[in-house]
Amino acid sequence: MVSKLSRPQLASLLALFAGMVVLAVLPAYIDPYSLRIVTGVLMWAGLACAWNIVGGYAGYISFGHSAFFGIGAYVTGILMQRDLGIPFLATLPLGILVAVGVAAAIGGPTMRLRGAYFAIATWAFAEMLMQMAIVLDITGGTAGLSLPAYLNEFFFYYTMLIVALGVYLGTWYLLERTRFGYRLKALRDHEPAAEAMGIHTTRVKVQAFALSAGITSLFGSIYAYWVTFIDPRSVMGPEITDQMVVMVLLGGLGTVWGPALGATVLWLINRYIWSELGDTAIYLPILGLIIALIVLFLPNGLISLLPGGRRGHGLLGRLLRKL
Amino acid sequence: MTNKISRRNFLKGSAYGLGALTLGAPAIHVRAQEPVIRCGVVTSLSGENRFGGNLTRRGYDLWAEEINKLGGVEINGDRYRVEMFYGDAQSRPASGADAAERLIIRDEVSILFGPYTSGVTLAVQPICAKYGVPMISGSAESPNVWLEKPRFNFGMIPAVDHTAGSSIGVIAEATGAASVGVVGVDEPFSKETAEGFRNGVNDTGLELTRFELFPANADLTPVVSNLKADNPDLVAVGGHEEVLINFINTAKSLDFRPKAILMHYGVTAAAFADQLGADANGVLGISVWTPNLPYRDDLFGTASDYDELSLARWGSHPDYTEAACSASGLVLQDAARRLGKPPVWDRQARLELVEALEETDIETFYGPVAFEREGNHYHNNIQPVPVVIQITEGRVVPVAPSDAAQTELVYPLPAFS
Amino acid sequence: MDVLLQALLNGILIGGILICLTVGFQLTFGVLHVIDFAVGGWVMLGGYAAYWASRLLGVDPFISVFFVFVLFAGVGCALGPLIYHVRTSRYARPDLMALAFTFGIFIMMRGGALWLWSFDSRSVDSVLSGASLSIGPVTVPLLRLSAFGMALLLGLGLFVLLYRTRFGMAVRAVAQNRDHAGLMGVDVKRVSAYVYGIYTGITASAGVLLATIYSVNPEVGVRYTLFAFFVAVLAGLGSVGGVLVAGLVLGLVESLVGTYVGTRYSLLVVFATLYLVLLISPKGILQRGI
Repeated sequence: MVSKLSRPQLASLLALFAGMVVLAVLPAYIDPYSLRIVTGVLMWAGLACAWNIVGGYAGYISFGHSAFFGIGAYVTGILMQRDLGIPFLATLPLGILVAVGVAAAIGGPTMRLRGAYFAIATWAFAEMLMQMAIVLDITGGTAGLSLPAYLNEFFFYYTMLIVALGVYLGTWYLLERTRFGYRLKALRDHEPAAEAMGIHTTRVKVQAFALSAGITSLFGSIYAYWVTFIDPRSVMGPEITDQMVVMVLLGGLGTVWGPALGATVLWLINRYIWSELGDTAIYLPILGLIIALIVLFLPNGLISLLPGGRRGHGLLGRLLRKL
Repeated sequence: MTNKISRRNFLKGSAYGLGALTLGAPAIHVRAQEPVIRCGVVTSLSGENRFGGNLTRRGYDLWAEEINKLGGVEINGDRYRVEMFYGDAQSRPASGADAAERLIIRDEVSILFGPYTSGVTLAVQPICAKYGVPMISGSAESPNVWLEKPRFNFGMIPAVDHTAGSSIGVIAEATGAASVGVVGVDEPFSKETAEGFRNGVNDTGLELTRFELFPANADLTPVVSNLKADNPDLVAVGGHEEVLINFINTAKSLDFRPKAILMHYGVTAAAFADQLGADANGVLGISVWTPNLPYRDDLFGTASDYDELSLARWGSHPDYTEAACSASGLVLQDAARRLGKPPVWDRQARLELVEALEETDIETFYGPVAFEREGNHYHNNIQPVPVVIQITEGRVVPVAPSDAAQTELVYPLPAFS
Repeated sequence: MDVLLQALLNGILIGGILICLTVGFQLTFGVLHVIDFAVGGWVMLGGYAAYWASRLLGVDPFISVFFVFVLFAGVGCALGPLIYHVRTSRYARPDLMALAFTFGIFIMMRGGALWLWSFDSRSVDSVLSGASLSIGPVTVPLLRLSAFGMALLLGLGLFVLLYRTRFGMAVRAVAQNRDHAGLMGVDVKRVSAYVYGIYTGITASAGVLLATIYSVNPEVGVRYTLFAFFVAVLAGLGSVGGVLVAGLVLGLVESLVGTYVGTRYSLLVVFATLYLVLLISPKGILQRGI
């Protein structure tokens, strides 16, 4: 019962609840530009969460997630062209399907690689896909694709919000509360031992990879409709992956809420110094310095600053169980 | 007056807590006493298109400085100062859209000066439509921008499909070149340039020895070796300034010197000749503006006055991008005068401004400006006539067609020094 | 036939450039186990150093390259302990934190160059610029040939350093097992810092050559980082010898595809080759990676 909660637990629960309320009513109180930034925060938080499934829980560092982001963006972009005219929401599952299919197909062979080999092999795969998007006709090549513009900032905010929340709650449940999550963590900590315990490691890894790819693709689809224009560089370029990786590392690798924290802080800092100092390039060195300083002084990520530290998710888990 | 909180300072203060940034930025703003014309510049100051992006900024800034020296833009006999706000599009469409919305909402600009690349332009156009803010694109040479028939966007430079093809014919006529090899970087604008060249070759009935696109990061030796094996009279290259510099360096190192080299875009910028030194001499380019043109206006004077002014301000001779961007300001001035309403312009006034812009028909130091009202070049100013230039002693000199030529076109090119 | 010979030569010389880019990175990975995102940043800074030396002092890149090596080796030695600190911290996944750290440094370099030296692409002139040698039907660009020579020299020099000196023995010991090397009296921290210094020196010197062959601007770094990573992985991480093979393979693939299939597809095939080779041979082309 609620009365059994300790004071800090109650405080966290209240904070969580207050956070939800604030996010739900936020659009009524801020201007469209701020809403745009917050929408960006939600997108990056969701992407960071997706990357964290593979990077943080399975222990495989992927540099190739921009490929899946691009798949989602292109599936939506191509299907929504005037001659096809498929409605936006109908394109989402198709994007996920394609991304999951690709991830399942390449996951098996690719995940035999370890560490930096896996990282750079996935990067090579993403670069390859980007070159394909450049060369193919259906993607519009380097000229890119324009999508029909839907100028409703609330739609995109709430879509991102619902999807991001769903992703977080889903991954929290799946990774912290099911056998799948325990298997995944077991293989991250010691893959041969996990295999000896009878875990079908390849299957678990590929499942995690496909799950992560599907979520990434979903955000790619929403991004495409939101920004209304996609081209190979902007949706498949390495910058997308770099940003996801750095956000997770800064927030707290392998934690449920770390990626959300990292994404929020980094994207707000990024957009803030960009907007305040955007008429010169000096915001870039400042951004780099901030990243380096966080690594030096907060190597466990920003989540270690919060009460409960690295085990913040454990606290939250206990709370939810008590309810 | 002293304890007045400016909007910017308010925001800076609020950022001490990051939460305050998201939650605490409701619209507290105290506007300056006298109304000014607030202009937003969305352009790529960083990223792969920073070169052209920074040139556009120079052009816009020069106009703002000059008009403010006179006290501002004249509307109904009063003068209103111009204030510039910037957003770095980082060569990325999403950042461009962020920047446009920020400039419109936060800085309350009533007009945008446009981005440099088609990708960013296409992402910014819906934002302009959403808020009814007109945009003048000083440099958007990609034809696909205008295919969308953007109501709020106006382009100063003729799209490259309009200029690249015809220049091939002009060169063939001036030189007697019979065969052409066309290569281009596989990126939006450069690809369209190369396709424009190819169409020009086919239209003129010349022999096309090769049409090849290459990725932006590729090494150029295979491309140059292929061209060398074909040995066409004229080599036409579509690319940005970095690739063009690399192309010349690679061609020189492989001892390949065609009779003529035509390049677009970036050879008209002073940096090209400056960086390549003597190797730049003889390279042909396309320009819709040169300082020798006979045009003039009241603010900048003649084209050559503008050239000197820009040289004094930025330390290098301006190319047509900078000129077109400065001329964008003149177009705004003229439309605002005809609009006849003092700033700040509300949505209704801005829509009227769009109509005023559509009726633009003026002469500037950059040349005549009038925007197309229909067709594939909707809202694009296709008045300027492209001339073929040749780098001569480090300067950009018009060499063809014959009525614009200042000196003889050097053909065939002498060997590399 | 002539075209084939020229294509092969082009490929070999592109390979030389890739080897110069990667060889230092490979050494530092072997010892520090850091995926250094800043490779391309060092290349870019080396290129700018050569540019300014040439513009302001009139020093030819072939002379300034030695000063650049010393200068950047010094910078690297100073930065090395920081990287070492991050890499050996007791926190979870220090390898990733080192990656994020070098990513931050890389953004600083790129943004700093953009902010300080503006956006222009700079071309660096040297005595060999544009000089070429004609051997029958084939044209050999001397600048690229010198880059290839540098690649061979670096390979040879590193071999001598690693297998013929006491310092090299210490480096190899640290590469094999950091703790054991420490127990044997090797100052692991200092060796790591020196290795990082050698890497930055070599990479910046490669940047000097690349700036003369191509040109340099603040954004070139990303491209070089990409290629350095790819060559290193194809070579097998930490394997200096593998770099020679991997660089040549990728260079030849790029050149031959560019000549016979179409330059448009060259990078597509390069990346596909890399990906497929890794799937077949997970520890690099010679199976020697760590």
